[in-house]
Amino acid sequence: MIALKGQPGWGTTLRSAFALGILLLAGGATAHAAEIRGNVDLSTVPDRDGVELTIYNSEDITLVREKRTVSFGKGVNPLQFSWANTRIDPTSVALRFLESGRDLALEETVYPHDKPQKLYWKVRSRRDVTAQVEISYFTSGIRWKADYVVISDPDERVMRLENYVRIDNHSGETYEHARTRLVVGTINLVQKIAELANISRDRVDHLPQKRKEEYRQRAIRKAMAPPEMMAMAEGMMTGASMDDALERPKEISKEGLSEYFIYTIEGTETIPDGWSKRLLSFRADAVPMQVRYRYWPGEYGNRLARLYLFRNDGASGLGTTPLPNGAVRVFQDDGMGGLRMLASGNITYVPIGDQRTLDLGVDPEVGFERRKVRVWRDEFWLRVKGGSLLRRLGSPKHRVDLKHTVAGWDRHEQFVRRIRNDSNRAIQVEIRRPTQGDVVFKSGLEAKKHDYRTVAFTAQVAAGEKRDLPYELITRMGRNAKRNAVTVEAIK
Amino acid sequence: MPTTARVAIMIALALCLSGVESAWARVKLITLPVRERVAVHMEHADVTLVEEERLVPLTPGGNTVDFSWSNTGIDPESIVLRIIEGSGSEGVEVLSVSYPPNENALIWRVHAKKGGTARVRIAYTLAGLTGQADYRAVASPDEKHLLLTEYLDVTNRARESFDNAVAHYAPGRSQRLDLGRSETKRIRVAAYRQVPVSKIYTADLAEYGYQDRPRKRLKVPMHYRFKNSQDQGLGSYPLRPGKMRIFQDDGKGSQAFLGEDRAPFTPLGNDVELYLGVARDVVVTRIIEKNTPKRLDGNLFDHDVVIRYEIENFKNQPVTLLIAEDVRRIRDEVRGNNRRDVEWEIGPETSLPGDPDQEKGSYRKVVYSIDLAGRSAAVKVAKRIYRLHLRFKNEWR
Repeated sequence: MIALKGQPGWGTTLRSAFALGILLLAGGATAHAAEIRGNVDLSTVPDRDGVELTIYNSEDITLVREKRTVSFGKGVNPLQFSWANTRIDPTSVALRFLESGRDLALEETVYPHDKPQKLYWKVRSRRDVTAQVEISYFTSGIRWKADYVVISDPDERVMRLENYVRIDNHSGETYEHARTRLVVGTINLVQKIAELANISRDRVDHLPQKRKEEYRQRAIRKAMAPPEMMAMAEGMMTGASMDDALERPKEISKEGLSEYFIYTIEGTETIPDGWSKRLLSFRADAVPMQVRYRYWPGEYGNRLARLYLFRNDGASGLGTTPLPNGAVRVFQDDGMGGLRMLASGNITYVPIGDQRTLDLGVDPEVGFERRKVRVWRDEFWLRVKGGSLLRRLGSPKHRVDLKHTVAGWDRHEQFVRRIRNDSNRAIQVEIRRPTQGDVVFKSGLEAKKHDYRTVAFTAQVAAGEKRDLPYELITRMGRNAKRNAVTVEAIK
Repeated sequence: MPTTARVAIMIALALCLSGVESAWARVKLITLPVRERVAVHMEHADVTLVEEERLVPLTPGGNTVDFSWSNTGIDPESIVLRIIEGSGSEGVEVLSVSYPPNENALIWRVHAKKGGTARVRIAYTLAGLTGQADYRAVASPDEKHLLLTEYLDVTNRARESFDNAVAHYAPGRSQRLDLGRSETKRIRVAAYRQVPVSKIYTADLAEYGYQDRPRKRLKVPMHYRFKNSQDQGLGSYPLRPGKMRIFQDDGKGSQAFLGEDRAPFTPLGNDVELYLGVARDVVVTRIIEKNTPKRLDGNLFDHDVVIRYEIENFKNQPVTLLIAEDVRRIRDEVRGNNRRDVEWEIGPETSLPGDPDQEKGSYRKVVYSIDLAGRSAAVKVAKRIYRLHLRFKNEWR
């Protein structure tokens, strides 16, 4: 419970977990903060005028900024701020005067040793004044995450993509009518951790995990409250009642900030402690998509994966914001108004303009076999009597000798990739074949190098067709190997 | 679905007078829209998706729609609400979804421009509701044909009943049914008559081992093999994986149980092989008759191995026997494992009939097919001798 306690007549006791109070002290206004609290207190509780949450999904941390209006009498005014049963970081609590700043000064902050989750501020006022103050702090227990619902049309040409944000509040406090901002992106804190730990950047990864996490938390707090960010948030904490009257889907505005994106939910939200709330962030009704089948062992494992491909760009009705990480559930319209579940998984952050794939797993209607058909060897080179002299087996100068040993040879392997398309539409298959060593890839396929050791080739397989894609790998072994790369050789 | 407190899944329209915040209150007056239609999608191998359609009365402005369930395996993360286009659904929008703590429930905030009834579909994945394929195959007395019956076994342990539901159990295939709680139902969904079948005997030491090791007699398993294609009397769909019980018609009005096997997912045009057990009347004795290295130069060798098969068919009927050898395993046995793939060719001493089966073979497996005549009552069973000559090439250590 958070409480701000103030003078009598300021308001009724909050039912929230928080309280901020101004105390009427028997001991006089000049008493030391540690002595502020007598055995008999009288206090009032100013309401929140507004509250703003900035939630980072990459860290379990939320910046809370709340405004309250407080009346100060001339002289010293004790303020008590407490947050029982919540997850506030006590070292982060700060008080700022938004009005009458010339008349008000924070003289002292005291954390009483016998009263955890409570602090006292001693505020000196030059005159009787009512002023709005801002209390900011970090809390954990509030998280947000994105998720997606994808529904492809029956022909798998376009899909509807819906992006939602879900906010979970387990902070111990209900923030009523909160302006909510969600930060997309991971904060890179290596430099800040290095500065705090007084080490070089490259040694950050070698820090013990516990210490690294401590530094990381400190760095996050420093990073999250830069003046420019605070300034940017100015003016965003507006009256709540009007916003709550909005009864239409809320706009979630997106704006870039350095390496991050900030989603700001229109109006305000009340998410009681323990509750979660999910809001539509955006929807694109007809995102062009392609279906691909890929055997890319490095990316999708040892299987022919069925994929939906789409691009986060304007042509897709997207492209105004990066797509944050999140769970995705993929359905297909069955053509009769119903849905078929295709897959569920996760989507990683998609920058504007980038393409992403949705992995639907193995399609039972498309068979994929990797067959090794034949192996043989040739181009033998033999070491003559253990020396450095090499003779090619079968060359004119070669003589058979019991002491010759095999020093180099070529290994030939014939493979077939067999695709069986039992679906009722043609499919596009993309295959990557990693190799190792000095390799020649020979085939009549339209193959090309993907990288120095990987060959890529594609095939169109008609509905009902069974298609074999044969190729041969020649690997130079032993002394025959001259390099570590693959060469693609076309055969008719 | 009855509108009583006993239902496991409930959608409720809360009558809200005070706007959004009434959603937080968990005591309220509600109406209960009934299910109009239910579809159960079991096509996915791991997940069952239920989609139910309901007519939800909405008042102009904000409406709270409460969806709750108890004792059912609904994945709350999977729930999708769709407003179906059509009369009554214009201007209806979902504003938000809230998840109350410690409850199996969620609350949609829905805005309607005008009062009326909106048609909505709610989809969710549900644990405990499964559909399995199950087959019964009856072989004709001469084992030339099968009567194959396909069943759908639906088990409902989801603690929720679904009346008049459309069960989509495979792509393009569905069945209307009632599903009571804790019920298991078996529904015949197809029957295929006169499916041509062949009975295959296999001798493959690497895969099945010995029947009698000291006497070098191999285990000879039997399989029924049939093709999943329309010209073979089957349907237009891939065969779903499932248990297959196999019987044989004895020609006297009764059936003998031969055994059961699990049929794999079988696309159109592919063969299904069903294991029937080990044959006792087809005897294959395998002996390595020759094991001869031949030096090419230095430490480089070719190596000849000849395997002799003595085969006896004590059955009255002719049979087809597959002889299969794992070539790499033989090389490892006679030369040791040098961790290189084996290079080999068929040698001139081979007397097995025909050529090796390229489709069934591979770089390390050789397969031959032999047709064996049945035993004649008047004639003693002849022991037939075949040889397989393998030449391992370019071997060294």
